[in-house]
This record gives sequence, C-alpha cells and structure tokens, in this order.
Amino acid sequence: MAALVGVRACLSALQLSSPSLLHSSYKLCAVPLGRRNFAADAKKVFSRDKPHVNIGTIGHVDHGKTTLTAAITKVLAEAGGARYKKYEDIDNAPEEKARGITINASHVEYTTANRHYAHTDCPGHADYVKNMITGTAQLDGCILVVAATDGQMPQTREHLLLARQIGVQHVVVYVNKADAVDDPELLQLVELEIRELLSEFGYDGDNTPVICGSALCALENRQPELGMNSIMKLLEVVDEYIPLPKRDLDRPFLLPIEGVYSIPGRGTVVTGTLERGLIKKGDECEFVGHNRSAKSVVTGIEMFHQSLDRAEAGDNLGALVRGVKREDMRRGMVMCKPGSIQPHQKVKSQVYILSKEEGGRHKPFVTNFMPVMFSLTWDMACRIQLPDGKEMVMPGEDTSLTLTLRQPMVLEKGQRFTLRDGNRTIGTGLVTDILPTTPEDQHNWG
Amino acid sequence: MAASSLFSSLRSHMSKVRLAGCVVCVHTGRSVFSADKALLVKLRKTTGYTFINCKKALEKFNNDITQAEHWLHDQAQKEGWSKASKLENRRTSEGLIALLRKENTAVMVEVNCETDFVARNEMFQQLVQDVAFATMEHHQSRTRAGYVKSVLSAEDVCNLAVPEGSSVADRLALAIGRLGENISMRRAVSVGMPSEWCLGSYVHGAVLGRSGVLMGRYGALVVFQGGPEGQEEVLGKKLGQHIVGEAPLSLGDVGDVSCGESETRLLAQNFLLEPQYTVGQYLALQNARVLDFIRFKCGEDTQ
Repeated sequence: MAALVGVRACLSALQLSSPSLLHSSYKLCAVPLGRRNFAADAKKVFSRDKPHVNIGTIGHVDHGKTTLTAAITKVLAEAGGARYKKYEDIDNAPEEKARGITINASHVEYTTANRHYAHTDCPGHADYVKNMITGTAQLDGCILVVAATDGQMPQTREHLLLARQIGVQHVVVYVNKADAVDDPELLQLVELEIRELLSEFGYDGDNTPVICGSALCALENRQPELGMNSIMKLLEVVDEYIPLPKRDLDRPFLLPIEGVYSIPGRGTVVTGTLERGLIKKGDECEFVGHNRSAKSVVTGIEMFHQSLDRAEAGDNLGALVRGVKREDMRRGMVMCKPGSIQPHQKVKSQVYILSKEEGGRHKPFVTNFMPVMFSLTWDMACRIQLPDGKEMVMPGEDTSLTLTLRQPMVLEKGQRFTLRDGNRTIGTGLVTDILPTTPEDQHNWG
Repeated sequence: MAASSLFSSLRSHMSKVRLAGCVVCVHTGRSVFSADKALLVKLRKTTGYTFINCKKALEKFNNDITQAEHWLHDQAQKEGWSKASKLENRRTSEGLIALLRKENTAVMVEVNCETDFVARNEMFQQLVQDVAFATMEHHQSRTRAGYVKSVLSAEDVCNLAVPEGSSVADRLALAIGRLGENISMRRAVSVGMPSEWCLGSYVHGAVLGRSGVLMGRYGALVVFQGGPEGQEEVLGKKLGQHIVGEAPLSLGDVGDVSCGESETRLLAQNFLLEPQYTVGQYLALQNARVLDFIRFKCGEDTQ
C-alpha cells in the first residue's frame, strides 16, 4: 500500500513526467504486485493467501548475508516454500548492481508456514535512504548477520545506524559461522557484544532474539544442528518477532478527489481511488482542502457502473454525496471520515533530489527555491527552507527540507509527494513532521 | 569512563561464561594456554580486531596482553596486504574528498571505497585525513616561491610517508583488512601561492576532521585576487559553491556571454547565488579576478 501511495504521488505529477519518473512509478507498482513472478515463471499465479512482510539482511561484508539468504531459500525449498537460489544467483542478480531511483526491487521471495516474505539485500546507505523516501522497498524488519569469528565489525555499526534511520523497528540477529568457532564461550561473548551494540543504537538488546548457526553448513548439508535447524529456528523467530504491518483497511477512510460531476436528477458525484479504509453507503464524510471544508453523507457508491454497498482501499469509485454543489468541490480536495484529517501549510520532510541522469535538475538549489509540490491529487506552490548548516542541495542527494505551501492542503506524516520545477521532476519526498505556521511564513508569493 | 562502565557490566556476565567454559574444557581437554576471557574481551574492546584473532593472540603469548596487541597489529598489516591484493580489481566509486588549508597553501585529495557505508566509517575518515596531512607535508617540504600547483598521481601519494614509519600504501592496506572493502587512492593536488593572493574553498556536505580538515563528496578550490576588504573568505566560499554546483570546465574570458544551462566556462556561467549576473560580471562588481580553480567530485570519471 505504501508503494501505491508513492505511485499516486508520481501519477499526480504525470502530465509531463520525465521518463525516469514514469519508469520509477511503473516499477513501484510492479514490486508488490507481480515482479517476483515475472522473474521466476510467468505462468504461475501469485496467491495472496498469506500476509506479506518485507525483510532485509544487514551486516558487515563477508559475514555471510548472501550465504544466509541462499540457505533460507534452500531450507524452505525443501518444504516447498521457496525456489532454491544459489549464492551465485543472488550475488550476480542484476538488481544487485542496478542503481538509480528504483534499486533493489526484492529479488528473493519465500514463504514460511505463516507468511510470505520479500527479501532484500543492502547495497548502500544512500540507496536505502532513497528507497525509504520513494517507497520502493520498505522494510518491516531486518536480520542482522554477524560472523561468530569476528564479532561486530565497522559496517555492522553503519548498517544498524541506517536501519534506525529508515525506521526499522525490529531486528533479529543471526550469529553466522558458528561452525568455525570451537569454543562456545566465544559465541556467548559475541552474543553479549551484539546485544550491547543493539542497545547502544536504541534497540531492545536484551530481548532481541539471537540465533547461532552456520548458513554454510545448511547449504552443504553438514551438522544439521548448526545448519538446517538454525535456519528453521531463525525463520520461526522472524515469524514471531517481526510484527505484521498495519493494514490500511483498519484506518479512517480517505478518498483524494480526482473529478467532480453533477448528475441531473441525482446530485453530485466525486470520483477517485480510495487511498485507505472502507466506505459504506450512509457514512458521514467531510471534504477538506483548497481552503474549503464541507460535511455531507455518502448516499451511493458505484464502481464500473455497478452500485455497491462498500468500497475498500484501492478501489476506484464514484461516490454520490448529498447536499453539496459541484462548484464547491474541486480536484485536489479529499473526502474523508469527519475530523480525521486537517489541512496543513508547513511540514518537515525527507526528500531525495533526482540527479541529472534520473531526469532531475543539473544544478543545486538554495533556500527560498520555489517548486510545485504534487501529492494525492493536488498540486501547490511551495517554498523550500534548507536545514541549519546546509547551504545548498546537489542533485542526487537526500536531505531534510522544510516546505511551506502557498495554501494549506491535506498533508499527514508519512504522506509522499513529488516536487517539480517547470516541466521537470526534481525530487520526491516523504512528510516527516507537521509544523505550526508562523507570521513570517506569510511570505509574498508574488 | 564509558569503557570502564561497560567493562564492569560485562564482568557480571563473565562469571556465567566461565562456568560454561569449565564444562567444555572437561569434555574436549583442550590446550592449557586457553585465553583468559576477561582479557579477551578487553583486548577486543581496545583494538577492535576480530574475536578469533584476539583469542589466537592471547593463546600464543600466554595471556600477555601487550605482546598480543603487538602481534595483532603486525598481523593486521599482513592480512591487510593479502586482502588488498585479493580485492584489487573491485570497483571503487564511493569515498571522500578531503580539503586541508594551511596559510597560503591547500591540498585536496580523493580516496575511494566500494560503498558509502565505508565512506561514513570513522576509520576510513581517519585514513583520508592522514593522506591529506601527508600530502600537505610533502608540499611544504619542497616549497618554491610564486604560484605552484602540483598534481600528484595515485602512486606518488601511496609512496608518501605517514607518522609511525609507514607509508600511505601501508595505511590503505590496513584499512582494507579492517573494513573488508577495496580502497584506492585516487588523486591529490596541492596549491601554494604568493601571500597577496586569496584562496577560496568549499566542501559540500562537509564532515569536520582534526585540525580543520573538511571531508565530503564534492570539493572546490579557487585562487583569486582582489575582492572587498575583509570579505575575501566569504567571496571565496561563494565562488567555491558555484564551482561545486555548476561544474565549470574552463575559466573563459571576462566578456564572455553565457550560452545557457550547458555553459562550461566559469566566467560566462550565471552565478549560482545571484543568477542575474554572470560570474564574470559578479567578479567585476566585487573588484576581483579568478586566476585558477580545481573541482573534485567523488568517483567521477577523469579519463
């Protein structure tokens, strides 16, 4: 769903989208829907009978992230939950090398008894932050791989820092290469050290599950206790410890308005794709945005010219609403559960600025730059303020920015948007905080 | 302080560990000189070398921590070299640029690594600073009068000496061993000039190192004359920002007219911070003259 939000942000900027952005929006939707299948065998149908979770491996180079991934697919392949991918297949996958705005679409998938997983590797810090911002591959949890022979090494720290930064809440530890250590005390020391490290980074070090084993043994069918069994145990723990992401159906409904029509004899109909939640006939609703607000009741819902009683997130629908005039509505407003959403004018955000090769600007910008912000179905001029200590933003960088809109529009924490300047998409971002407006924000918009 | 408290927290766990250890000894009957666990943890904490090597070192020197540490350092250098030759062909396109200024001299160096995780690592940053200092020392040791701009090849830099009697190449190998990635010296340039000239610089996204070294992904040095009294530093930084942002390739002439976004002559480009002027016009207003500039972008192709 998060990816869909990203698609929406891109689509609202569609008219003149640069090739790379179109490409990215295409890929964004391909990730959750079916990319994995294209790669495997085109005819197999993706079945959605288990909840889906995105997971990644992090850890120092040569500690065995890829070997572990291979071992997981091997062990699960024996139970029918995956296709076995050899180490070389994973390491040489084109995704591993691909850079750009949509890097590392999940290239390994597997199913445990309870869940379906998409598994990603860790190509680079900036790449990951970019992913978080554009919504390409979000991680619900991570497996931290540490070699028992080495203990934590420099990149272990960097990866944990990153996991923290992109908001990964749950980490499970796999102490790898346990077969190369003949002293169980050493394993305990490694475990102790890693728990300390986790606590240092703000994770629950004491209660984080730590599994010792050897991915290599699992691959080579040796010492099942350290090999296959440790992998099974790891997956069990992952199933248990990493919670399912919250489903969008449980949240108050939100329909960004794409079109407004007046149907003689019936009334006003608004159309759009339901971003989240459920709408039922008879629900109360509120319209917000463009400095207007109105309340009403949904008296009918239609999809594909058929009437229905309820619509779910993702449905493209028309809603007949009572007592509002077409002139009072406008594309870019949203229809939502009354009181669930407020318009805002000033936000803090994390933004990725496209490089020239990705279709962005070739030169940097400084404070007071004024691009147009596109989000949901609206667009609005905004003014950029750089964070303290930063004097300019180069293409290809990610940065935090404060954005002030010309008029308050619907904005929430976690909402995605696109920034455009003239006929060029310059960046894409994520709202991280809502800020109060101050008198000096009433800038001359000339 | 923090280390000592960590250590004491460890100690409480240690008793449990020891207990488990005894049982194992009975079963396997291993060597008498097994490493002392408290020392092992201490050695590991202070040196950061891998658990297995720390253990080996303690066993080898019968728990003499000073000798063990020496051995570990020697070992790390050897392992570094063997790792370095193994990883030699891996592509390095991330890394850092470091800029160091001292009176009227400046050096700018670039060291590359494979991923930006390593570029963010303290040890790597330390390495880049060492390279900058070594280059500066080299420059100062052979100072001549007037304007000197010398470009050092990667090999030249690798042969420079660093404190504690080793070379830059040794340091690189050590870092490769520790960080597990290929790391390569890319380029270095040093500039010295007459004291009446001015030097401007800018490092984008800078991290501050020791004695004022700045490290980031882009760096620019600009040599100019004139400018408003007392404002030379500000002007120099603005020019540096422009050079980083607009990536000019040549200087051009003062009267040149801009040919739009693709303009690559510095003086003809629209000034980044006041786009109503070209850089040439802006400099004329400031009564200044740019003589030379250098721009580094981390990982760029330089043929």
